[in-house]
Order: sequence, then C-alpha cells, then structure tokens
Amino acid sequence: QATGTDQVVGLGLVAISLIIFTYYTAWVILLPFIDSQHVIHKYFLPRAYAVAIPLAVGLLLLLFVGLFITYVMLKNQRVTKKTQ
Amino acid sequence: NFRAQSSGPHREGELRGPKVVTMTKLAQWLWGLAILGSIWAVLTMGSLGLELPSSYQEVLWPLPAYLLVSAGCYALGIVGYRVATFHDCEDAARELQSQIQEARADLVRKGLRF
Repeated sequence: QATGTDQVVGLGLVAISLIIFTYYTAWVILLPFIDSQHVIHKYFLPRAYAVAIPLAVGLLLLLFVGLFITYVMLKNQRVTKKTQ
Repeated sequence: NFRAQSSGPHREGELRGPKVVTMTKLAQWLWGLAILGSIWAVLTMGSLGLELPSSYQEVLWPLPAYLLVSAGCYALGIVGYRVATFHDCEDAARELQSQIQEARADLVRKGLRF
C-alpha cells in the first residue's frame, strides 16, 4: 500500500513533470507568437538554450547510465571470479 | 506479445488467403518517427518553396527537442502517478500462495522432500 511518503513523492514527480511541460511549451511553442518587446521575454533564456539544455541533460543521463552499467558489470565479474 | 498485428494462426494447409502484413511494435515506431522526421526536415529546409512566416519557422526548428522533452515529462508523470497510487494485490497474492501450496503438494507426491 502506498504510504504518505510514497504519495508525496509520486505527486511531487507528477507536479514537476507538469511544471516542466507547461514552461517548456510556453517557451518553445507560444513565445515566437508574442511580440519581442513584451515583458514576458525576460523570464525565458535565449532560444538556442531550448535545444541545448535538453541535449546536455540527455547526454549526461546517458553517461550516468553507462557508468552505472559498467560499474555493476565489473562488480558482478569480480563476484563470480571469487565464487569459482 | 510483440506483434502488433498478427496474421492469426498459421495453418499448414492454408495456401491461399489475404496476405496480412505483420510489423513489430519497434518497426511501427521507427516508421512513424522516420515519417515525422522527414516531414520536419522538409519543412525546416524549406525545400517545398513555402514561404512560412518567421514565427512559424521559430516554432518549427526545435520541434524534435520539444517531442523528446514531452515524452520525458509523460514518462516522469506516469512513474509519479504509479508511485502515488501503488497498492497491494491481495487477490493475486492469495492466488500465488495457493499455487505454491499446490506445487509443493505435487512435488511431495512425486517424492521430493523439502
């Protein structure tokens, strides 16, 4: 059964994803149709970052996953060698 | 079951019949992505000679990144929702226990000692 902590963490994840989605949609889809002199442009980074940041985050994530997999595999190898 | 559209059970004597195209889920996704990607590429390169307004072009070029971010947000939201509404499967647990008992009894009958 989901405890209180589980519910807080889960709903927090849902909230984070919704916030990121709305902010990113506003940034990428809505902003070009708003006049470039408008105040709202102060709350968003330049447009090149809209692609650069997700790319960088994705590459970091891939790197992390690769490191984790190599770590686990090396550890497994050592354990099987010990048992043999 | 990885086949999205199976052609049904293959019978040995069946010589004639409608030829049903089978495609794996992976192939379907790759095709969809390839079609979307080529549409995007054609529109971005402007090889159709369409004169799109500059704001539309501004929206167009980061669209793959937008798709990626949306997919990531969807995945994160699903994980969060499932964590928040996690529950015990008591019926399934009872069924599994009874099956374990059944298997034990069967093995004991066949001479296995635990």
